[in-house]
Amino acid sequence: MAGSGTVQLRDSDDIVLRVENLVMEFPAGLHQVVHAVSDVSFDVRRGETLGIVGESGCGKSTTARALVQLPMPTSGTVLLDPGDAGEVELTDLDGEDLRCVRPRIQMIFQDPISSLNPRRRVKDIVGEGLAIWRDEHPDVDVAARVDEVLGAVGLDPVVAGCRRPHEFSGGQCQRISIARALAIDPEILICDEPVSALDVSVQAQILNILEEMKERFGLTLVFISHDLSVVRNVSDRVVVMYLGKVCEIGDADTLFSEPSHPYTRVLLASAPEPSAVVDASESAIGDEIPSPIDPPSGCRFRTRCPRATEICASDEPVMREMGSDHFVACHFPGSP
Amino acid sequence: MPLLSVADLRVGFATQRGLLRAVDGVSFDLAEGQTLGIVGESGSGKSVTAKTLMNLLPSYARVDGSITFDGRDVRAMASEGERHFWGVEMTMVFQDPMTSLNPVKKVGEQIAESLRVHLKRSRKEARDEAVDLLQQVGIPEPKKRLTQYPHELSGGLRQRVVIAMSLACSPRLLIADEPTTALDVTVQKHILDLLDELREERGMAMILITHDLGVVKGRADKIMVMYAGRTMEQADTTTLFSEMHHPYTEALLETIPRIDMASHARLVPIPGSPPDAVDLGPGCPFAQRCRYCSEACIPDRPDLKQLGHGHACACHTPVGTGSGTAAHMANQNSGVTPAGLDMGMFSPVGEEA
Amino acid sequence: MDTPPQVDPAEQFGVVVARRLGFGFWIAAAWIIIIVTAGALAPWLPIADPNETGVGGRMDGPGWSNWFGTDSNGRDMFARTIWGARVSLIVGFFSVLLGICVGGTLGMIAGYFRGIVDRIISFSVFVLLAYPGLVLALLIVGLAGQTLPIVAMTLGIVAIAPIARLSRATTLVYSEREFVASARVLGATNRRIMVRELLPNVLIPMGALTLLGMAITIVAEGGLAFLGLSVEEGFSWGKMIVLGSSPRTLREGPWVAMFPIGAMFVTVLALNFAGDRLREYFDVRELGIGVG
Repeated sequence: MAGSGTVQLRDSDDIVLRVENLVMEFPAGLHQVVHAVSDVSFDVRRGETLGIVGESGCGKSTTARALVQLPMPTSGTVLLDPGDAGEVELTDLDGEDLRCVRPRIQMIFQDPISSLNPRRRVKDIVGEGLAIWRDEHPDVDVAARVDEVLGAVGLDPVVAGCRRPHEFSGGQCQRISIARALAIDPEILICDEPVSALDVSVQAQILNILEEMKERFGLTLVFISHDLSVVRNVSDRVVVMYLGKVCEIGDADTLFSEPSHPYTRVLLASAPEPSAVVDASESAIGDEIPSPIDPPSGCRFRTRCPRATEICASDEPVMREMGSDHFVACHFPGSP
Repeated sequence: MPLLSVADLRVGFATQRGLLRAVDGVSFDLAEGQTLGIVGESGSGKSVTAKTLMNLLPSYARVDGSITFDGRDVRAMASEGERHFWGVEMTMVFQDPMTSLNPVKKVGEQIAESLRVHLKRSRKEARDEAVDLLQQVGIPEPKKRLTQYPHELSGGLRQRVVIAMSLACSPRLLIADEPTTALDVTVQKHILDLLDELREERGMAMILITHDLGVVKGRADKIMVMYAGRTMEQADTTTLFSEMHHPYTEALLETIPRIDMASHARLVPIPGSPPDAVDLGPGCPFAQRCRYCSEACIPDRPDLKQLGHGHACACHTPVGTGSGTAAHMANQNSGVTPAGLDMGMFSPVGEEA
Repeated sequence: MDTPPQVDPAEQFGVVVARRLGFGFWIAAAWIIIIVTAGALAPWLPIADPNETGVGGRMDGPGWSNWFGTDSNGRDMFARTIWGARVSLIVGFFSVLLGICVGGTLGMIAGYFRGIVDRIISFSVFVLLAYPGLVLALLIVGLAGQTLPIVAMTLGIVAIAPIARLSRATTLVYSEREFVASARVLGATNRRIMVRELLPNVLIPMGALTLLGMAITIVAEGGLAFLGLSVEEGFSWGKMIVLGSSPRTLREGPWVAMFPIGAMFVTVLALNFAGDRLREYFDVRELGIGVG
């Protein structure tokens, strides 16, 4: 599918995070390489929520982890405050320099149980970030801050503080994770499938809390999910990924009302209650997702794409502009 | 006469803290060729219900109530060790295809096995039928697949193989427990459509278990909404969506974001978390999280009341009725429900104090 | 889809998921406490001097004056069994302590850092494992001498490799957990992650292993004793068993070997049982009864 190129990057001074030509490759057995993320570029404006959506194996979680340098990307750059005097190139840092920038980008994970150390008490878990940086910020009242963030995510600090994670439900554990990330006052919060492991009746609570926290603490969010409707609900801008590449990127309302990439249209048509802007028959594509060890030549979506022709096998489509803040990497974009 | 009839089914597990009531008085009928959708969250008892039907519960589960399949007592068959019922007349497809597939046996052998055990087919006949079945479930190059191992197939193909296996003996009832949850978005719909087609071709009955009301909307004839082991509401699909009466059903629909909703549309959360199945208390299990909660809901558990045309609802203050509207109004005016829930969290954006 | 046999409904009720240590554990723990206390307080207990000959007759059977009888030198076997516990338990405890401090740390470092560090440590551990433990012990004790610290250290060195493997495996599992990633994202140093996040989780299986390990080293020390390589001064249960198991002694006074054998058997059993129950007890909070 999808393609490379950087036309989708915006030239604006309130960009807080810019990812350019990100590549993540992992060794897989002898002389084989998993191309998890291949040449992905996007940027996030301050106060914006960027949604990244795609199926398993599309590289969305790998991208999320690359933003916090876990592990370092194979190549490409991740910039904080690009163009500013205080520009920081995360991919250039290591050791102590990287550690000192870490508090600016925090992350919450999919599995709320695995995210919390079972042997520690909630107030120690939430206060961990403050404890780590106590020498740099000696005047911070750790207990007060822990109470503040626990209260903000809707937990009673007095009751919750002294308990251990196994005494809480999945939704409450996810709140604790959010509180831990917020305690050290980050600028960017990366949410990797934060509601996928939760009961349906609890998902909306967590999504609403994230929205509230974004307002209250002035956060910029990067929100990763396989669920299109969740991504649409939280995002200002959406990136659609397939097999390590970006297919389509754009303003959420535009992208969902005028989906241009065939893959985006398939996703919209495959939802349990398909979107009205696509035809239900558009979901009819093959089931076989190619291996990221040996991705198809040209456009990576061509093996399942109803519109594929020879050019899709030979030439990789480059990102091109479809409208204002709407970019797509396809030789035959638009509605069929 | 319905094909499957479940009456007052109760399943409990003894735990350190007391009896865990996983299923608490569930009843339903399913006619030949029909689809029943069971909707609920984890802990609602939907999977335990399925496992009870399939006789897959651990030995320490305590089961009560009657299950009748085509006039036969299913629980009696279980204790008599009837071998050719599960897997032949009633089969099940699980969430994770790998749990039903043996990783060290070839796909072909696994399908042929149940044909040979239950239907006494010869090796050759079983093989031919296996190819046939793989073709029916839409697997390309079925002959080649017979000699492959499960790990060589993609998730979607594996689930198709599992479906082929469960169809091998032409069951009359297929239970599908979250058959697509472990699959990719673009594959989910294909599997659900396949199940639907096969059901129609073969005139099978089907129970489709899911946590997503949207999945059963266009597929099930009847829907049963479960919560904390109990049936909250039960109706024909069209009736349920046009005149839902249970506050939990309504809350479930409102809380899930839909694709065609605008960005940042505020979701109506269901506050709190599902109740502790060991310590349910005397009242309605949903009362603590319900906007329509009235004084009566806390001490007194509502019975499942028949409203006619197969529509049943277990609620003292059903949505869309006089008592429901009155309870909602009263809660809104006082700002807090009798269960102590702050009504403020339901108010639309901008109205927050 | 095979169908498990249905159990009689009357039997179905009352099976509980246990989350207590149980009666057996407390019996085992009580025995361990008694034997440790007796060994520790041996000099102050009102018992005979274990090395004094002629407290009773030679080869007296168990009776009122000498509960466990006497040996061929007329020494009181009851006193000797209690004094023997001292050496056996000291060897057992300190060797496992050494094994856990060195092996546990190495295993955590290997499991956390992976890569080249892991390869070097794992290779060393393999070499240590490949070398027969008893031969290694023979070598060290033979060269360095048969004193209590050397015997304990020797068995400790033999214990390093298996403990390092367990520690590495546990660390690998927990390093994958997202709370470790969260700590890194918060800016925690490697040392802090290992001490605050991983250690509390690795210590639990280690704690249970301490008891099991003690049981193994107490027996291993007995093995050394049979090769004549136990402590030269003083005596352990193992050495007592060796002394009591010459054919003539066995014939004339089987109690001389029987009582140290019994003490070792019961102690090893109690340590194993208590260790096993502790491990299960701490595992359970990770489990849950799945209903959905």
